[in-house]
Amino acid sequence: MANLADVDALDFEPDEDDLMDEDATVDVDASSPRASAQIPKLKSAITGGSVTDNSKKTKGRGFREETDAERNNRMSGRFDSLNSDGGPGPERSIEGWIILVTGVHEEAQEDDLQNAFGEFGEIKNLHLNLDRRTGFVKGYALIEYENYEEAEKAITAMDGGELLTQTVNVDWAFSKGPFRRINNRRSPRGRRSRSPRKRF
Amino acid sequence: MAEEENGAAAGGGGGEFYLRYYVGHKGKFGHEFLEFEFRPDGKLRYANNSNYKNDTMIRKEVFLTPSVLKECRRIVSDSEIMKEDDNNWPEPDRVGRQELEIVMGNEHISFTTSKIGSLMDVQTSKDPEGLRIFYYLVQDLKCFVFSLISLHFKIKPI
Repeated sequence: MANLADVDALDFEPDEDDLMDEDATVDVDASSPRASAQIPKLKSAITGGSVTDNSKKTKGRGFREETDAERNNRMSGRFDSLNSDGGPGPERSIEGWIILVTGVHEEAQEDDLQNAFGEFGEIKNLHLNLDRRTGFVKGYALIEYENYEEAEKAITAMDGGELLTQTVNVDWAFSKGPFRRINNRRSPRGRRSRSPRKRF
Repeated sequence: MAEEENGAAAGGGGGEFYLRYYVGHKGKFGHEFLEFEFRPDGKLRYANNSNYKNDTMIRKEVFLTPSVLKECRRIVSDSEIMKEDDNNWPEPDRVGRQELEIVMGNEHISFTTSKIGSLMDVQTSKDPEGLRIFYYLVQDLKCFVFSLISLHFKIKPI
């Protein structure tokens, strides 16, 4: 798992150029040496080379402070993740499969979600978070099913459907790998090579 | 304005998005902090370091689907935080510091301020309107991240 996390971090930038034509507006000069030389100290490379884009409007005291070293230190350690093969597709969570519902009506109750989504399988967990200012529903719900099939059925049946007069969108919450790579099946650096069992 | 930004976000990404939030302080239990970031490729990273009683640092990461990132983006654009400025917010101090860095489209903010104990701190500040937006946005984001992390890893984030 340690290795996987490290490789992920290294993979992050080089892989971007494989996908430039799919997402041309982002990270256009991430791979140019000139761009990386210009990356301001504080910003490191986390946001990609396009941070250095002069057309980007910057604002805030954070740009005027030297917190670079400390921050890199904070985020440089090893991060735990569930053991994923890094391929495309949804990722299983520890106890089941999580889906995200968006476009949830601000006056929705947990019961409304239970009724609409309970028919695809037993809901193991439901988070219907509230807007901290208004106290109304924030607009999304996270739902956990035990089985893949239940979650998939819920997505297929409810995505684009209606709940309390509003159109809702339903999708998986977690993914096995970075999403820009999902459509790029020919990526030479794809992590699929590390999961040969998938080919049998 | 919010409508407009929502439109862009709804259009399947609408350009680059990056978000990082940090809150922490250095005291007798060392450097205690909470930090999370949403990266443009969908990776969510979460770190929580408390040296009080147990000295373990929690670091978790997981890839999100574009839908989750889009919802995060919606929460940010609805808040209209990108219009604010931290010029008149209380500066980070001994009690603590908060940082909120967001790249959205062609705007990049990196705000810093002190810890905000309650709405009272917001009201008595020099920019109550702006600080209130920050205060509630941060709570909504934390709430979102805690749900994602706790559902995926079955840990209690705080």
